[in-house]
Amino acid sequence: MKISYNWLKQYFKSEISSDAILTALPLIGFDVEETEVLGPPQMEHVVVGEVVEFEAHPNADRLRLCKVKTAEDETEHSIICGAKNFKAGDRVMVALPGAILPGNFKIKKSKLRGIESEGMLCSAKELNIGQDHDGIMILDSSVALGTELNAIYSDSDIIFHLEVTPNRVDVLSHIGLARELVARFGGSVEMPKIQSNIPIVDAFESNSVLKSLTVEASDNCPEYSAICIEGIKIGPSPDWLKKSLESVGLRSINNIVDITNYVLHETGQPLHAFDSAKVSGQSLTIRYAVNGEEVVTLDEKKHTLNDSMLVIADASKPLAIAGVMGSADGEVDKSTQSIILESAYFNPSSVRKTARTLNISTDSSYRFERGIDPQGVQLGMERACDLILDIAGGSLVGKRVQIGSVDKALKTIEFSPDALRSFIGFSVEDAEVQSIFESLNFKVEKASDLKWLITLPTYRKDVSRPVDLYEEFIRIFGTDKIPTQPISANGINAIDHPIYQFNDSVGAYMIGKSFNEAFLYTLRNEEEVAFFKGEDHAETSDLKLDNPLQSDQSHLRNSLIPGLLDVLELNLARQNLTSQFFERGRVFRVIKGQLVELISVGFISLGKSLDRKWQDGVEFDFYTAKSCAEDIFRLLPFKIKEREWSPIEASEFWQAEHSAKAGNLSKDGYEVSLGLLNIKNIKERWGLSNPIFAGSLLLQKELFEKEMKHFRYKVLSNQPASMKDLSLVVDKTVFANEVLETVKGFIAQSIEGFACESVEVFDVYEGEGLEAGKKSFAVSMKFRAQDRTLKDKEVNAVFEAVQSLVLKETNYQIRK
Amino acid sequence: MIEETLDALVIEVQEMSPKLGSRVEFDSFKSTISGPKGKLTDVMKLMGKVPKEEKPIMGKKINEAKQLIQASMDEANKRIEDSELLSSLGPTIDPTLPSSNDAKGVLHPIAQVRDQVVELFQRIGFAVAEGTEIETEYYCFDALNIPKDHPARDMQDSYFMPDATKMANVSKESDEKYLLRTHTSSVQIRTLLKEKPPIRIVAPGRCFRRDTPDATHSANFHQIEGLYVDKKVTLTDLKATLDYFVKMVFGESAKTRLRPSFFPFTEPSFEMDFYSPDLGKLSNQWLEIMGCGMVDPEVFKSVGLDPNEYSGYAFGMGIERIAMILQGVDDIRYYYQNDIRFLRQFSD
Repeated sequence: MKISYNWLKQYFKSEISSDAILTALPLIGFDVEETEVLGPPQMEHVVVGEVVEFEAHPNADRLRLCKVKTAEDETEHSIICGAKNFKAGDRVMVALPGAILPGNFKIKKSKLRGIESEGMLCSAKELNIGQDHDGIMILDSSVALGTELNAIYSDSDIIFHLEVTPNRVDVLSHIGLARELVARFGGSVEMPKIQSNIPIVDAFESNSVLKSLTVEASDNCPEYSAICIEGIKIGPSPDWLKKSLESVGLRSINNIVDITNYVLHETGQPLHAFDSAKVSGQSLTIRYAVNGEEVVTLDEKKHTLNDSMLVIADASKPLAIAGVMGSADGEVDKSTQSIILESAYFNPSSVRKTARTLNISTDSSYRFERGIDPQGVQLGMERACDLILDIAGGSLVGKRVQIGSVDKALKTIEFSPDALRSFIGFSVEDAEVQSIFESLNFKVEKASDLKWLITLPTYRKDVSRPVDLYEEFIRIFGTDKIPTQPISANGINAIDHPIYQFNDSVGAYMIGKSFNEAFLYTLRNEEEVAFFKGEDHAETSDLKLDNPLQSDQSHLRNSLIPGLLDVLELNLARQNLTSQFFERGRVFRVIKGQLVELISVGFISLGKSLDRKWQDGVEFDFYTAKSCAEDIFRLLPFKIKEREWSPIEASEFWQAEHSAKAGNLSKDGYEVSLGLLNIKNIKERWGLSNPIFAGSLLLQKELFEKEMKHFRYKVLSNQPASMKDLSLVVDKTVFANEVLETVKGFIAQSIEGFACESVEVFDVYEGEGLEAGKKSFAVSMKFRAQDRTLKDKEVNAVFEAVQSLVLKETNYQIRK
Repeated sequence: MIEETLDALVIEVQEMSPKLGSRVEFDSFKSTISGPKGKLTDVMKLMGKVPKEEKPIMGKKINEAKQLIQASMDEANKRIEDSELLSSLGPTIDPTLPSSNDAKGVLHPIAQVRDQVVELFQRIGFAVAEGTEIETEYYCFDALNIPKDHPARDMQDSYFMPDATKMANVSKESDEKYLLRTHTSSVQIRTLLKEKPPIRIVAPGRCFRRDTPDATHSANFHQIEGLYVDKKVTLTDLKATLDYFVKMVFGESAKTRLRPSFFPFTEPSFEMDFYSPDLGKLSNQWLEIMGCGMVDPEVFKSVGLDPNEYSGYAFGMGIERIAMILQGVDDIRYYYQNDIRFLRQFSD
């Protein structure tokens, strides 16, 4: 909202400087987004002078050396000037030494190319009078020498662009802001004097201008008042009125429209004037629109209304969308001779809904939406009548009709100064609290020292509870006066959420593994989601937002990997050869028809770095990805079932036989997929043809409610271990895990009195020496007894038993 | 005779052993001395023929010679062992060449600032809470005293999920809509419903607003919410906490002010501004850094706490905003491009 300092001063008559006001406003809750200085500020030593004569500067072709006098009988000033647009005898604005021009530009005697200049001849721009900077200002020859700049240009002004929070509709006017400044600086608000004494009736009396006035929609129009004025003369507004409106960014239209706008910005009460000649049937009805009813508003836009929208209509058509904007059909124009002036209270939610639906925001709707002062309806009407009769002439026809009456009851709140003190946490005198309330126009009545009754003005609808009064107190008292105290941190910290702990360790782990963290958008392109899932997939439709803003941000992400591929693509395109990225974030999946938010970690890496190095680096392969994923599981603060890995067979996303998965989101609460990304699809969509490995972990947040890990000591044996190696030839399609499980099973059947600590694959071989379609696993077994050194005999017995079981019960061959 | 042979042998060993250059030479020389057919072995065999009375003297001589031979051989052995160890070392290094391993990775600058902020609050007793990115209107708005027709609740300003959306792990209060949370304040409600005061939490997380992206707006961004609820929490406590925070982040020279503002879930509400002489282009001007205030009694009521018994404060700040101020970044979109050169600027 724009506030003109000059306008404001009509109601806030005070010696307080504009700078002091500017500093105070944010501290009482009204942030100043911008200040705009119109016209020249107050300046000394800037006066009218006459160029007596000039000559070229002896040492500079482009400069002129001028003799300037600023008084008839005074010695001439020698001033050097770069402009060429003046001649001898011209009257100009002269800044003499000691002057301070806008921008804190101090004028003093100084040498220019060896000759002293005793001031400056000014352009309009230098004085903040206009934009002209092509030459110096040339004044009318009638202006007396020595006249001060501010005596000629007296209409300078400062415009504050204020940010007013939505709860403070009462401040959306010059009087409203004046009230706040009075609370802060003292004094009282100078209200405009109301001249007209208009009798009010609460039922409509037919008159020569209007035959009927009906409020059908009284639920959303609790108070409507109108008066007819005839014999007015439409014309341009007087200068002061024009200037006031222009200063707050409004265009002057004609005197009547300008007055309604002026009163709105003065008192906060929106008004509307209808040309009564355009009111068909001489009747006005405040009613709901008919579905599909059309209106062309004053801004020449056509709107289609619905039956929840309030309109002011004549016998045949709407003349205004209530509280929002008038229709061109009822507009006051050059030919208008009589008007119907409206001042009303429309319910905030109704106006807000209408304005939102139609996508219109006007000064009126903005105020109605937030709830205007119920007392303002009358004030606004009376003030506008005064100004109309004064400026546009004419006379009132009949009385002011008021239909309905909005609640104007004064609200009283019980207040305890002790409660205030314990809320704010420091001590303050009762008297100071009382005086702050009174400065805000709140009436203080002390039922006792402990219980005060605070009565509020009708315009402060935002204040309804003791805590609201605490806010008002601290706002005017000054937040800068809250004492500085040490932090009170009593008690013991709670534990950080395990999800945070987990993410924290994942971050540390991943950067230790040379992965760089990326942050990507949660909202993705439909095409991206569909690329892997197919357009018909339930996930593609269930991840879609109800109201996306942009087509490339329409779907929730179901994986972190596509975003990471974007990052890799961008970096490679910029010749940044870093090949490893990860992200920690939330993704969304559909499980059994329901959307689920999941905790996710995703990482990608080129198989071989493109960055050429003097030594060969280690390649990143499926097994590196697997160890990263397994390590991340180990970082979980609770125990989780051992992963059972199985190959991913057919996938648009992963490369079959080069990728694997473990876990099931609904059964195990987690799912992890990793390995080589589908090379064909990655090349098609991202243009990346180098093999890329990735890992994607998805975790249900409920997993994190599991009990935390704790570890128990198990007795260890100090006896030496005994190792046995076994080489098994199996079909190429057999996985290591199957062989290990089989061997472990056979050991369990054969062993007694001591334990097998581990069974591990230490070599995998295929090729020469083996049949086609076969491979061999070399398996090592480690045995140990709790209480003795194992004898070869007993270990061999187990080893042989296992071998014979292998031969008997499997089709594996033992390689000797 | 034996004596002479012994002396000659000692001299031979003492002369030859320093010349032995390798393990092979050493071993073959050693066998010519002490091997089964070695010269020393041969001398020893002669001992049997030595007359009994000379035996002690001769034995002593042999022992002396053996010791001298052993010493020379040990010396040669040690020398060869040392040179063998050295030869296993490979080529010498160039200390100026880089390692071929990738350098450690970097955390994202937003994550770094988030962690820094979280840590500052952990030090004064706050613990981290987590929420979900999808929330319901009730937890995001109603319970926070945000009225039904508040602009933030409009389809134009927030991202909603379709009415038919069913979520398995985000609970609804009744049949309200799901939306992408517009602020982390929803975590306040979920926490207050689950835990009993005293509650002291910070909740970092991702939020969403339906803004057209530009230098200062992004489809998603991050906030940190803070909440302290207990008996007798005061406005002065709020100021103390936030002053501490600003000074820790922006330095002791930073000044703060609480500018009265309006949020439906706090009363009174403030914007906290700070002013620093050491912020480059942003020096010496008031910069908005977060919204804060005392928890509104309506919020306490909506979670079943008695506002006469409990009080508290809450604050919320945009992590990108703090990051941009601290790091001097002038376009939020750089954070989401993830150009590695950009990411690396804030590490090492």
